[in-house]
Amino acid sequence: MKHDYLDKYSSLDSVLHKLDPRTKIVCLFSAVIVVISEPRGETTAFLFYYLILAALLLASRIPVSFLLKRCLIASPFILMAALMLPVSFLLGGESASGNLNIGVFVFSLSILLKAYAAIFLLVLLTSTDKFHRLLKGMRRMHLPNILTMMSALMYRYIFIINDERLKTNRARDSRSPGRFRSGCIKVYGNQTAKIFLRSWKRAQTVYQSMLSRGFKGDFPEFFRLQFKLPDMVFAVIMLVCFVVVRVFI
Amino acid sequence: MPDSFAVEVKDLSFAYGKDPALKKVSLRIRSGERFGIIGPSGAGKSTLLLHLNGILSGDGEVKIDGLPVTKKSLPEIRRKVGLVFQNPDDQLFNPTVEEDVAFGPLNLGLSREEAGTRVRETLKQMNLEGFENKASHHLSYGEQKRVALATVLAMQPELVAFDEPFSNLDPAMVKHLIEIIESLDATVILVSQQILPVMACCHRLAILKEGQVIGVGTPTELAADRGRLKECGLDVGFFCSICKKLNL
Ligand SMILES: Nc1ncnc2c1ncn2[C@@H]1O[C@H](COP(=O)(O)OP(=O)(O)OP(=O)(O)O)[C@@H](O)[C@H]1O
Ligand SMILES: [Mg+2]
Repeated sequence: MKHDYLDKYSSLDSVLHKLDPRTKIVCLFSAVIVVISEPRGETTAFLFYYLILAALLLASRIPVSFLLKRCLIASPFILMAALMLPVSFLLGGESASGNLNIGVFVFSLSILLKAYAAIFLLVLLTSTDKFHRLLKGMRRMHLPNILTMMSALMYRYIFIINDERLKTNRARDSRSPGRFRSGCIKVYGNQTAKIFLRSWKRAQTVYQSMLSRGFKGDFPEFFRLQFKLPDMVFAVIMLVCFVVVRVFI
Repeated sequence: MPDSFAVEVKDLSFAYGKDPALKKVSLRIRSGERFGIIGPSGAGKSTLLLHLNGILSGDGEVKIDGLPVTKKSLPEIRRKVGLVFQNPDDQLFNPTVEEDVAFGPLNLGLSREEAGTRVRETLKQMNLEGFENKASHHLSYGEQKRVALATVLAMQPELVAFDEPFSNLDPAMVKHLIEIIESLDATVILVSQQILPVMACCHRLAILKEGQVIGVGTPTELAADRGRLKECGLDVGFFCSICKKLNL
């Protein structure tokens, strides 16, 4: 089966796509930290952060709709976190004493802005490079090998597990006109177990095939990454912008 | 000159837990030979293959090129024997085709440049130029099968063992695969339930049934013994009758 929901825009040809993955990892994660470190209740600075983000998006040539869709996926969590405060104020009856003031809403707004900016940055990171290059970057940055190896295998097998899910779904639906008579929970439980067992069996075979090709516990490195002048320029401009906003606004 | 044997299996027995899968199997395969192992489902064919490269080890003796398969000789054995698994999904685990094909050569200790050359040569041999940076989950099944074969051939093994290479392939691809197999400069073992393609391209065949070898011979010799083939559910008469009916 074909899948394109993970690397849909990773092969575009933009300034951002051309950068070394390590540059992007360092810059975008630093930016996330800067944004998150904004004091509670801050909102003005985000105007500037979002301007920088918009410029990055423009440079990446990734469609706005794609970004919005991605942000939508995380929305339930973010909204819950942001609304917790005003709701608890209301339920606590504090509004009666006039305490539910503008401040609480500004506070929630700042949480929202922070969270979306962080997600925005991560979406930019994951959609401006191929996953295997990001992994390679992580490996070259000496992140623990086990972490990158697990991510690599997960990336590979997420598609297979999803295929297994679709296949078992079809098998289930093709034999179940209408409602399941043996109870929904049991059917879904069995299906999950089946997917799990199949994935486990597959993991075993894959390991055998790795062994048969001389695997000794380490993934060998095949291609090199190169840190060039544009990487330097991008890193400096981007970090300076974020730090200036953080410090002076 | 006496024949040199690429594979010698002597009295090999193996059980998964308590269920025996191989019972005193003995086989000899000559260097450069294309050897087929046919047999019904559950006969123990895949289990036998896994012994050739030391992934499983049972009682008895397995020698590759005169070298006994033991824990100590495993690196050497895995250099000599390439296994092509039935399902390409089991074989392809790297993010891109190129890295998957380079995986084996790099594990052999080749430099990046040498591995790169091997990758290019093997992909060319498999008609897969331009696939270097594709992800294997974006390929069609036939392409995946060819990439899986490339990952093994890139290690330039002296013995290539295929598990069910013809399953799920369309007839044109079966023909193409037979051509590739016949062009290999290595000893080849083909394990399959599909008797016709195996008969078409092997010098000799063995029949495995319930974990035992019940016959070895050339395709012509085995085809003559219809009774035995029928007994193992491998009769070709069925296909002949279809061909006759269709005036082929
Ligand atoms: N991992 C396992 N655990 C337990 N039993 C197994 C396992 N793998 C295979 N078996 C059993 O061992 C026997 C031989 O299996 P094997 O896979 O070698 O057969 P095969 O000839 O390759 O069959 P097929 O043509 O269907 O692939 C079968 O009875 C099977 O049920
Ligand atoms: Mg098998």
